[in-house]
Amino acid sequence: MRWFISIRYFLAHTRQSLVCIAGVTISVMMFIVMTAMMSGFTDKFIIETVESSGHLTIHDEPRESRTKILEQVYTDPNAMLVVHGVKPRERVKQIKNAAGLIRKVRQMPGINAAAPMVNDGAIATYGTKTINVDVLGVEPEQQVRVTTIGTKLTSGDFSRLKTAADGIVIGQGIADVLGAQLDDTIVLTSASGGRANAKVVGIFETGVTPVDYSRCYMLLSNAQTLLGRKNIINEIVVRLNDYTDAQAYASQIEAVAGYRTESWQESNANFLKIFAVQTVITYFITAALLVVAAFGVLNILIMAVLERVNDIAILKSFGLSRADITQIYVIQGLVIGLVGSITGLICGKIAVEGLRRLPIQMEGLVKAEGLLMSEHRSQYVVAFIGSLLVVMLAAVYPARRAATYDPVEVIRGAH
Amino acid sequence: MAHTEAAALSYSSASRPGARVSDGPLLRAQNVYRMLGSGDNVNTILRGVNVNIFPGEYTSIVGASGSGKSTLLYLLGGLDRPTQQRADDDGPFDPPSRIFIDGQDTSELDDAALALVRNEKVGFVFQFHYLLKDFTAQENVCLPMFKLGRLSRSGAMERGAELLKRFGLGDKVKRRANRLSGGEQQRVAIARALANEPRVVLADEPTGNLDRKNGDMVADLFQELFETGQAIVMVTHDIALAQKSSRIITMEDGNIIRDHATEKQTTDV
Repeated sequence: MRWFISIRYFLAHTRQSLVCIAGVTISVMMFIVMTAMMSGFTDKFIIETVESSGHLTIHDEPRESRTKILEQVYTDPNAMLVVHGVKPRERVKQIKNAAGLIRKVRQMPGINAAAPMVNDGAIATYGTKTINVDVLGVEPEQQVRVTTIGTKLTSGDFSRLKTAADGIVIGQGIADVLGAQLDDTIVLTSASGGRANAKVVGIFETGVTPVDYSRCYMLLSNAQTLLGRKNIINEIVVRLNDYTDAQAYASQIEAVAGYRTESWQESNANFLKIFAVQTVITYFITAALLVVAAFGVLNILIMAVLERVNDIAILKSFGLSRADITQIYVIQGLVIGLVGSITGLICGKIAVEGLRRLPIQMEGLVKAEGLLMSEHRSQYVVAFIGSLLVVMLAAVYPARRAATYDPVEVIRGAH
Repeated sequence: MAHTEAAALSYSSASRPGARVSDGPLLRAQNVYRMLGSGDNVNTILRGVNVNIFPGEYTSIVGASGSGKSTLLYLLGGLDRPTQQRADDDGPFDPPSRIFIDGQDTSELDDAALALVRNEKVGFVFQFHYLLKDFTAQENVCLPMFKLGRLSRSGAMERGAELLKRFGLGDKVKRRANRLSGGEQQRVAIARALANEPRVVLADEPTGNLDRKNGDMVADLFQELFETGQAIVMVTHDIALAQKSSRIITMEDGNIIRDHATEKQTTDV
């Protein structure tokens, strides 16, 4: 009976009801579109960065002790401890017994692959053009198991690193800056004074600008020579079965290896923080839209209650309780919320698909053809439940107000 | 004391003329007070009213405006609750101010339980508040039945249509309430009041807003209902209409000053 009355009241004011529904629909649609856009960008960045760099990286140094020796002596937390003229150690950093450690890591459950690497900065020169690059010395067949770099080549072949003497695979950004193409020879100069002529055997494009503009791959032994690090491994890259477990595995491996082990989350902490802030802003904006829509619902339901004070008195006179009256108006809120949310989800889905197809060239932190839209079921669930909840909350006040009308006072007022 | 006088004027089931049923009272007001406002602005509407309404009675409550007759009607029907405490904070009334519907003390019932009692045992007819305009005549009649849930939806709709037919509205079953004339609306309201076969119909000036013709028609309907054994309590200013009832209660300044059987009733029964 409550549903019957609610629906009839709902249909009696079709225009007002549609305005309420439209408000909720737009809010939900905006939420879906904005979160899909945010997720698209974030997911692209994370996935491409993580998949092209590995899930975990074991570095050639222990994690820095939090309590330095001076702080151990002077325990006052407010003391400022300054040491002047500290001479850097001349020790060459490396992962000792890297092969043994790789074997040990590979045997751990949940580990998909592990590969050695030597990594340092260099300057790439082609003709008059120069660019700072990160040289990654890798074993090609192992590297393609720990990262997806092998699938990101737009020209050439990653395996040619093994077959071509002094081969190099460079990012598309580097190629663009230098003007180098496949089979061109570029000159690399390292900080240690090493110099090598390297033939471009592949050009990759991950879509992540910092990677494409800085990274180049060489055969491990060639890179060791160039960087002046003969037989030295200074990083081990690890691929997990599930990249979301990286932080847990990083702690575990660090305890076993004794070297600082960084998860992809730690390596990209700054970006992840920015994404988190952007997500909060997105939620805030869409929540504000939803609150505005909820105020619309509140306003219209208050008007509906005021218009039907006599009805409320009559309903109470023939046996409806305060709870029944409350439910009649809460149900109206529920119907507005349900119809608005579902319509919003459908419109949101359509909008996402439409925007995905827009031919927009994106180039910033991430490079892509078209708008990056990524949908997650959780976005739809949050949008649905959130909008329903807010609209229901907006319906509670008028519903409770309706329930409190004293039928006798109303009837006397009409006399 | 006003309430003592009123008590003396009220019927007992054994002594009232024309009693059709020898049950206990259907509605009972025991030392009922009703005050509005607070502090220095207290307005005492009813002053210790005692009255019993028995099954099968057709009672009219008459009196000047502001005498408390409508208030008494709403209290008897459980639409309002009597005041329990004296205005001067001197504790509760003695005996307690109580309304009993079909033997049940309404002060013991919460809002939902009292609403159920109204739904099942009482049917209200008002002067102005006729129908829910967004519903058809049939749906208006059926709403109390939907709430009670004794009949299936189709059963309730069928009974609603039958009731409307009985009151000469068989051709207006599907018509929206706001598209009916005043007299038709009032007949639908009476049909709605009867939907759950209540123990008593409480009518607050049911002809007060109708023209002569429609007023007479509604008066005849109440008469027919009374003749079928339906208990009716009606507040009216219309002495001619009151004379058609079996009992007339006269109120003045929140007290019952007269409670007597009519000749009509004695003759009819």
